[in-house]
Amino acid sequence: MKSAGNDIVALKTIDIQRTNSPVFYSKFITVTEQELYQQPQFAAVTFECYIWLLWSVKESVYKYLKRADAGLVFSPTKIKIKNINTPLTQPVFGLNGKVWESDHAIEDFYTGEVLYGSQNLYFRSKVDTEFIASVVSSSLNFNGVYWGIQYIDTPDYINQSTQVRLFLLKKLKSVLAVDELKIEKSLSGYPVVLQGDMLLDIPVSFAHHHQFISYSFLLE
Amino acid sequence: MDRTTILSELKKVLAPYTENKAMLDGINEDTDLIKDLKINSANLVDIIIDAESQYNIEIDFDAAEKMYNVGNCIDVISEKLNRTV
Repeated sequence: MKSAGNDIVALKTIDIQRTNSPVFYSKFITVTEQELYQQPQFAAVTFECYIWLLWSVKESVYKYLKRADAGLVFSPTKIKIKNINTPLTQPVFGLNGKVWESDHAIEDFYTGEVLYGSQNLYFRSKVDTEFIASVVSSSLNFNGVYWGIQYIDTPDYINQSTQVRLFLLKKLKSVLAVDELKIEKSLSGYPVVLQGDMLLDIPVSFAHHHQFISYSFLLE
Repeated sequence: MDRTTILSELKKVLAPYTENKAMLDGINEDTDLIKDLKINSANLVDIIIDAESQYNIEIDFDAAEKMYNVGNCIDVISEKLNRTV
């Protein structure tokens, strides 16, 4: 399947007390996934961070799959995290320049596999002090996957929506070396890229939450 | 509790999670929580938890995944309320 899916969670907005309540996290985290947290590799990861990491992966998977199945309903407990690998070294993150973009470089991501029905996907996540961002791919090496994260000054919804489109378009124009690109939403609700009136075969995804925006796209 | 009353109370549940207060005032059963009210998906679980508290019901996984527009929310809440009567 040729698709794209990503998500971002602004940690400043989460309710830590509520996140740590079983009533909350059991709505979208399976018992098996809760047990994964007991592995020694998560000793330095707060539980609320773990919960939102899994949420961002599951939301990314949903966006990825919805492109092929317009009627798909978000069922987070049916999107099952099979395994999670923590970064080997202590990651140095932060958006000092307000923008982070990755082409194909492997950095210190959380990585793992996720399953929905018979569909197996891979994820990479960045866990920062201020955000958690995830992207999924059908390729273990994320071949052709472009991924970017940006900090924005004004968190209102309209600005988030505007800025994430501009961020994605800027990258697409740079990579494709064309100017006449625009982003629209398909009838099913996922974003598409057009050059003039021509629909391009480039799956794109974007996410925004509070003061963070993020895109991903697949360019083979 | 009829659907009009549930809808009226549902506005209170949704209010903390939307910037679009004008749209919230005029919601109907076709209003989409994400597309129309611009509610971030990260808040959907909050809404389910708040609805459980507001109506003193328990919303299970299968029901929760339907709650993406106002009409579906009312369906789920109404069904759960009827079960508790």
